[in-house]
Amino acid sequence: SVGEKTLNNVFADSSAHRSRHATIVMDGKANAIRDRIKTVQNTKKITTAMKLVAAAKVRRAQDAVLATRPFSETLQSIFGGLVTRIDTDSLDIPLLTQRDVKKVTIVVITGDRGLCGGYNSFMIKKAEARYLELEKQGIKGEFILIGKKGVSYFKRRPYPIRSTFDCTQNPDAKQALAISDEILNTYLAGETDTVELMYTKFVSLIASVPSSRTLVPFSATEITEKGDEVFSLTSDGGNFSVEREELEAAEPAEFEEDMIFEQDPGEMVEGMLPLYLNGQILRTLQESVASELAARMQSMQSASDNAGELAKTLNTQYNRARQASVTAEILEIVSGAAALE
Amino acid sequence: MTLNFSLPHETIYAGAEVSQVIIPGEAGEYGVTVNHVPIISQLQPGVLQIIHEDGGGETEKYFVAGGYALTHENSVTDVTCPEAVKLDDIDPDAVSKNYDTAKTAHASAELGSLAQAEAQIEMETNKAMGAAIGLTLA
Repeated sequence: SVGEKTLNNVFADSSAHRSRHATIVMDGKANAIRDRIKTVQNTKKITTAMKLVAAAKVRRAQDAVLATRPFSETLQSIFGGLVTRIDTDSLDIPLLTQRDVKKVTIVVITGDRGLCGGYNSFMIKKAEARYLELEKQGIKGEFILIGKKGVSYFKRRPYPIRSTFDCTQNPDAKQALAISDEILNTYLAGETDTVELMYTKFVSLIASVPSSRTLVPFSATEITEKGDEVFSLTSDGGNFSVEREELEAAEPAEFEEDMIFEQDPGEMVEGMLPLYLNGQILRTLQESVASELAARMQSMQSASDNAGELAKTLNTQYNRARQASVTAEILEIVSGAAALE
Repeated sequence: MTLNFSLPHETIYAGAEVSQVIIPGEAGEYGVTVNHVPIISQLQPGVLQIIHEDGGGETEKYFVAGGYALTHENSVTDVTCPEAVKLDDIDPDAVSKNYDTAKTAHASAELGSLAQAEAQIEMETNKAMGAAIGLTLA
């Protein structure tokens, strides 16, 4: 079998393991098949544990997402209220103004580690495809890479990379701030015309959906109207499953006639945009990490399943060899006894 | 009055009943109690004071990095800040050290450059944090 061949290839020709025969001698000493069974069973324990650890981390990511909601909702509500008071087109707010697009910065979120199936390679392929698509349209692209896997792929090739960041397993506001600072500085310095984000939406344990959105420039209507989406890891008949919920956008805050505006509404709107970007980056990071964890859960589950099957095959082989050995001994004894007669 | 105080990664108060909130608005500090006229303000780095209702009306102080505060018609106040830290949790040595580093950076930066502006903001924020915990930085 393939499993056996794989295991066989791991051992050097001279190793003691090789010289032990596959047949069983009931002498209490070490045996090749028994060793293999032990190895496979240990592998299964490790992969099962890794799957459960990943599941626990998904729950943590889920809680982190929920913890960000009150802040984002309040911000969205205040923003919505302010926007009704002013005509955003008449104000000259660079972050809200569309530019003639000649240069695009693509922010790509991958993971820091492997053992998560196709999660990283799928995202990398999509990012590369987007870059080439833009190139075909005569638009220059460049990357801001988040996640060690993406960084190591693109750095080895001649792609323009503006900056790189780690993804980590537990994204926090400080991290999001560093990334959004970089994006805002690049955009406001005129070094790019639009910034797009590619991340993986956490839809189900099996499917990962690469999504993309434009981060900068903002659209005032999109900020006010876009509802949030949250995911939760639940169990369904003894198996893990994912539920996704679309939430309504926060109602624009009502501003009364006698409301005091300490600052000019336009100024406040402009000041709020970096905060909004921070929130977006944090959320998409959390979502991507959850997708990565789910992919890891799946790949560890497959590994455990394979290990289980291999253990079963090896066990059967072991039992047959044992029975053959017992039979051979009995035959020896019987024929020996018969010869004496 | 009801206070909602949230940060991007956690919510400190949601629907908490408090007696008064003193907010470091950019145009000046102002206090909000029940029946305050609706007001919206951008915040500057400074101290947010929350005076609780129960018992001796103890005051909780947070240093906030900016943000927005909106007081509705019904006296519900929403305070959203990108970062906030309890005054008790601020390390005075770290604040003075950061202030000195920013001061040196400010002096050595080119006049009118981005680095100088950043150093100035860092100096002012640390000075405000210092003042909040009773440290005078010059």
